[in-house]
Amino acid sequence: MSLHRLLIDSASRFPDNLAVAGPAGEMRYAELDRRADVLAHALSREGVRPGDRVVIWAEKSPLAVVAMQAVLRLGAAYVPAGETTPVARVAAMVRDCRPRAVCGSGDRLRRLVKDLGADVRAVDLDEHSGEHPGEHPGEHRDRVRPVDHPVDPDDLAYVLYTSGSTGTPKGVCVSHRAARAFVDWAAAELDARPDDRFANHAPFTFDLSVLDLYAAFSAGAAVCLVPSELAYAPARMVDFLHRERVSVWYSVPSALTLMMRDGGLLDRPAPGALRALLFAGEPFPIAGVRDLAGWTRARLLNLYGPTETNVCTFHEVVPGDLTRDRSVPIGRAACGDTVRVTRPDGGEARPGEEGELVVEGPTVMRGYWGAAPQRGPYRTGDMVRVLADGSLDYLGRRDHMVKVRGHRVELGEVEAVLGGHPEVADVAVIVGGEGADARLHAFVVPVRDRTPGVLSLKRHSAERLPPYMIADEFHFVGELPRTRNGKIDRAALGSETTPYGRL
Amino acid sequence: MTTTDLSEREISDRLIAFIRERFLSGDPQGELDEDTPLLEWGILNSLNTAILVSHIRDEMGIDVAFEMMDPRAFKSVRGIASALRLL
Repeated sequence: MSLHRLLIDSASRFPDNLAVAGPAGEMRYAELDRRADVLAHALSREGVRPGDRVVIWAEKSPLAVVAMQAVLRLGAAYVPAGETTPVARVAAMVRDCRPRAVCGSGDRLRRLVKDLGADVRAVDLDEHSGEHPGEHPGEHRDRVRPVDHPVDPDDLAYVLYTSGSTGTPKGVCVSHRAARAFVDWAAAELDARPDDRFANHAPFTFDLSVLDLYAAFSAGAAVCLVPSELAYAPARMVDFLHRERVSVWYSVPSALTLMMRDGGLLDRPAPGALRALLFAGEPFPIAGVRDLAGWTRARLLNLYGPTETNVCTFHEVVPGDLTRDRSVPIGRAACGDTVRVTRPDGGEARPGEEGELVVEGPTVMRGYWGAAPQRGPYRTGDMVRVLADGSLDYLGRRDHMVKVRGHRVELGEVEAVLGGHPEVADVAVIVGGEGADARLHAFVVPVRDRTPGVLSLKRHSAERLPPYMIADEFHFVGELPRTRNGKIDRAALGSETTPYGRL
Repeated sequence: MTTTDLSEREISDRLIAFIRERFLSGDPQGELDEDTPLLEWGILNSLNTAILVSHIRDEMGIDVAFEMMDPRAFKSVRGIASALRLL
């Protein structure tokens, strides 16, 4: 079963239900279905064929959702790029996955495609936004030919680019089978219904959004797109939750923390419509979970899984969790996956022991774009402890990947970009603070006799990295502390967080 | 309904001083100005914006209904200062 079948089936059962809602615009199932077909024909005329990739570089809007569905209907895979992703990073994605087309809008689309040569087609979504978008003679609204190219379950549905330790982003390839294993699990676990309203908080580049969109589509429910700029206005985010009568909310814990701390979430009674609150992407400080549990009777679910495995474990918060002194467990296997915990000596961890979490099963990615296929179990790099009842507690990373407000950041990629600044001789980046307060600290050794400006470093980063990967604090130092074997001593850096501190 | 007597100029100057000190390690080169893209360059993110808003409220004494403000105003110091005058 393909991922796009979910929308096609719901459009025939619930044509008049809202499929997409929120301030960016509404669209009913019948219209979304028809527009996806019309745009699929247009993309086909641009040369998009089964097995191709199409980058979608657009603001969150019903039209962006139309574009995703159009690409899938052609048997191609979509590659979302965030609205705040800089041109250079989208260009790097394009060079890597070689899409047939880029769907976007405005100047930056033209700038991007000009830099890439003739073999990538630019499709301006604004030209497809009218009442009869991009229609061709013979495609009148009542008789647009449905597009539903047969796909193999192992065909690619989408590619999500994530931070790469070597300095360039890497594309996680997700098949229809993997996406459906996750979406079908989520829809069943949440008992998704046609009158549900799923908030979509995460950007489309982030795998959390897959649940919002497709669990909604599987049930004929609405997905309410949260405008990305509400991240800067927690009180408006809280308003959104009430006004849109959201029944299922899914976001990183940091977003909920800011809504509680600065948006007055707890000052108003919980909305009656809210029946499930899901969070994932980073540990939720237990005090925040406790506050939410005291505020709403909605189910609280902690979901876990790197982009490479989608969600592979989950835990539903029970009253007994609230007296813990650490965050809630990540729980047990989900989506038909099998999880094992491997001790450093290679043995399987027993209750009370720690090890690396290893995942096998239907949600595991096909591989990274351009790399060897993923075969067998996927080693997450996440360290966990096995609890007495067999469920799991998250402990931290084995490597230098960190989470900044739920976003995954490879410190090596941030360092590679800063190291490319002409006035930077050497640099190390660490994360300080936890949860919503996590910040990236860059320790910069300037080129001799030069003092790079903080703003110039930020600008240099912003031209190459998404906003959450731009270092928050800069510390200028004469040299970086090293361990006896010559590696950067990150523990020593961690104790040095005052700006302009000398080591 | 603004409750401040500060001019837009004074608001800008104080915002710049605070952003430099708090988010730009002092900005020793003095690069920040009214039109520096705060969101695009990652100077303001969700956390920093919340810190800035409490500073405007508590330290600058400007008590405005921030939930009425268009979040896109945070794109620059000029944008914030003029939005504050309009509220």
